Amino acid sequence: MTTAGISCNRIRKSFDRTEAVSELSIEFQSGQTTALVGPSGCGKSTVLRMIAGLETPDMGHIAIGHETPKQVARRGGLAMAFQDASLLPWRTVRSNIALGAELARKPVDRVDDLINLVGLDGFAEHRPAELSGGMRQRAAIARSLISEPEVLLLDEPFGAVDAITRRRLNQELPPLWRERQTTTLLVTHSVEEAVLLSDRVIVLSSRPARILADIQVDINRDCTFSPVTSPDVRAFVTQVLTALEEYE
Amino acid sequence: MAPGRIMLGVLLMLLVWEGLAHVQPDSMLISGPFDIAEYINDHSGLLFRAATETLRNAALGFFWGNLAAVALACFVILIPKSEWVVSALALLVFCIPLIASGPILRVLFGPGAGPQIALAALAVYYTTFLAFVVGLRAISQSWTDLMTVYGRGRLSTLFVVRFRASLPYLFMGLQIAAPAAFLGAMIGEFTGAERGLGVLTLRAMRGLQTDATWALAAISASLAMLGYACVGLLKSKLTPHATTILLSTPRFGQKRALSTQILGIVFLSAMVLVLWQGLMDLFNLNSFFAKRPADIWTFVSNTTNLNTLLTALGETLTYAIPGYLAGLALGAGLAVILTLWPPVARAIMPTAISLRAVPIITTAPLLVLAFGRGFTGTVAIVAVMVFFPTLVACLQGLRQAPTQIVDLFASYGAGRLKLLRCAQIPAMLPAFFASARMAVPAALLAVTTAEWLATGRGIGVLMALTASTSNYNMLWSCVVLLCLAAVTAYAGVAWCEKRVLRVYASEQVV
Repeated sequence: MTTAGISCNRIRKSFDRTEAVSELSIEFQSGQTTALVGPSGCGKSTVLRMIAGLETPDMGHIAIGHETPKQVARRGGLAMAFQDASLLPWRTVRSNIALGAELARKPVDRVDDLINLVGLDGFAEHRPAELSGGMRQRAAIARSLISEPEVLLLDEPFGAVDAITRRRLNQELPPLWRERQTTTLLVTHSVEEAVLLSDRVIVLSSRPARILADIQVDINRDCTFSPVTSPDVRAFVTQVLTALEEYE
Repeated sequence: MAPGRIMLGVLLMLLVWEGLAHVQPDSMLISGPFDIAEYINDHSGLLFRAATETLRNAALGFFWGNLAAVALACFVILIPKSEWVVSALALLVFCIPLIASGPILRVLFGPGAGPQIALAALAVYYTTFLAFVVGLRAISQSWTDLMTVYGRGRLSTLFVVRFRASLPYLFMGLQIAAPAAFLGAMIGEFTGAERGLGVLTLRAMRGLQTDATWALAAISASLAMLGYACVGLLKSKLTPHATTILLSTPRFGQKRALSTQILGIVFLSAMVLVLWQGLMDLFNLNSFFAKRPADIWTFVSNTTNLNTLLTALGETLTYAIPGYLAGLALGAGLAVILTLWPPVARAIMPTAISLRAVPIITTAPLLVLAFGRGFTGTVAIVAVMVFFPTLVACLQGLRQAPTQIVDLFASYGAGRLKLLRCAQIPAMLPAFFASARMAVPAALLAVTTAEWLATGRGIGVLMALTASTSNYNMLWSCVVLLCLAAVTAYAGVAWCEKRVLRVYASEQVV
């Protein structure tokens, strides 16, 4: 599968009189996982929504490879997991996960694998109302993965997930993205999570967003890697926090 | 409530009813349950045939009216820019009281079931359209975002997400539509049909046959409530998790300048005139009975004609306004009082919902018998027409106070009255105003029906007279005037609503 890098060129976005993003230029490399971190309301989600084609920049342009976000979306190359699970309440967990493949016009043959990955075995035929908030969020993550998108956008999707599952997902998802060469963008408030999941962390200032630091996360993630004890992880977390604190 | 208690209550009510009927046996006011049952038994064949005819017309009108409503709602969602025009035209047609469009449809369709079906369709389409558009819009933004992320357009979003998510709203519209279709079919029968419960009701009224009037009212009310209950049952099976839904108008877009609003009204008026003239010409309708805008303009330009019309309208409004205000005040007032005693409110709610489903056409003859043919009787008919929908809407609205706010008041040990005044009544206001708006055409329908059936005054009787004497210029002018009165009153209520909700429910005002 060929994946495309994302290029944001001097993008600007305002809502009424509030400028959310001001002439921001970023390149996201193909097949890499990049985390966007920054203070609340700094415009991280707006950047993600513009890349998803949900918002149109007032100025500048965004390209995914040589295509616009809408062109990539139309051929099923994009997927996104939102802050809230946004599952359809009349569909079962299985059917909600399959929806991701149906909408992207991809085969619906990996639902059980993904149910297993996100730890929802035994809940496949349950409806969202019968699940906890964290379980719904896991189903939403599985839905974003089933279409095997070229570009995966994650807008704080792990917020409601319990600590054990979160840790498991943090360990199992990055190899999956690397294997499929998925260009992944993650918006998160957790600096540790940003470092653990990403190849690169971009630290943004408060509104309007500008880049404070662009940190390449070079961690040896072999089978002996333990995120809790790894000094590398702690070093990168400190680096990101320092960038944020210096700005404050 | 236990079924045994319900049975006991019903039995007690029937006994009191029978007792009242025997207090003044010759008053021609009340028929007891035994007399009604006897009449139904003696005329079962005739009543069955009439009920079958009315039900058939109501069912056909229900089908076509709702189909049109669903198609219009989908059109508005797929082409959002069309919403203002489509919604305004739909509202305009809804504002024409059925009693006014009935004679015209009779003239256009001739004898047969056409007017009954058309009126049943007209009686249902707006509430379904309104409920369905609100439902199609009331989806989480993240669902539409999800569809956009996968490159899916409005049509896919409509079929995959919106349609299924709006089912509770659609069923709520269909539930209100079921008795409304029955009402429309009966009014159609009033305008000169040969068969049906409406025809029998008119005959019974004119012949002062109390038993027949009560029997027909009981049958019509039961059938309308049965329709309401059947759709309700279907709704509870298909959308078991649906919560209370308040019916408010679709949003008409962003706040617009006064000049833009005036331009919009001018554009809409021009569109109505063009459609009116165009449709008449397209179907090549005979200008003897199918009057064009120019005919009406010439007719009302005559001072005598205009005076006749305005005098009749004045008489109608003399009954309509007090009845409308009394219905609103009683409905909202009782809802507030009942909220102070939640068990009583819970017990009354199903009865109020059921009585809301009883068409005014069936209760009007009974109210005329009870309150007479004068001011009190007519005002009572209008008030009853407005009362039940307002009571139900306000009871539902009072429950809309957010749990956190109720908890906040509880944490400070605030009393029930304080909670009611500061949290529940403001939360009720959107429901109250939505009901007040919808009650405007209903009040005009009630007053014109009462005038037609009983008082012999006002624009209702003027329409009946001019229809029977083939004075079609006057008939069409009455319809136009009633429509203008309804639209003006509706706009007036909407104006008040906007200003009140700007303070009490600012997030709901565009």
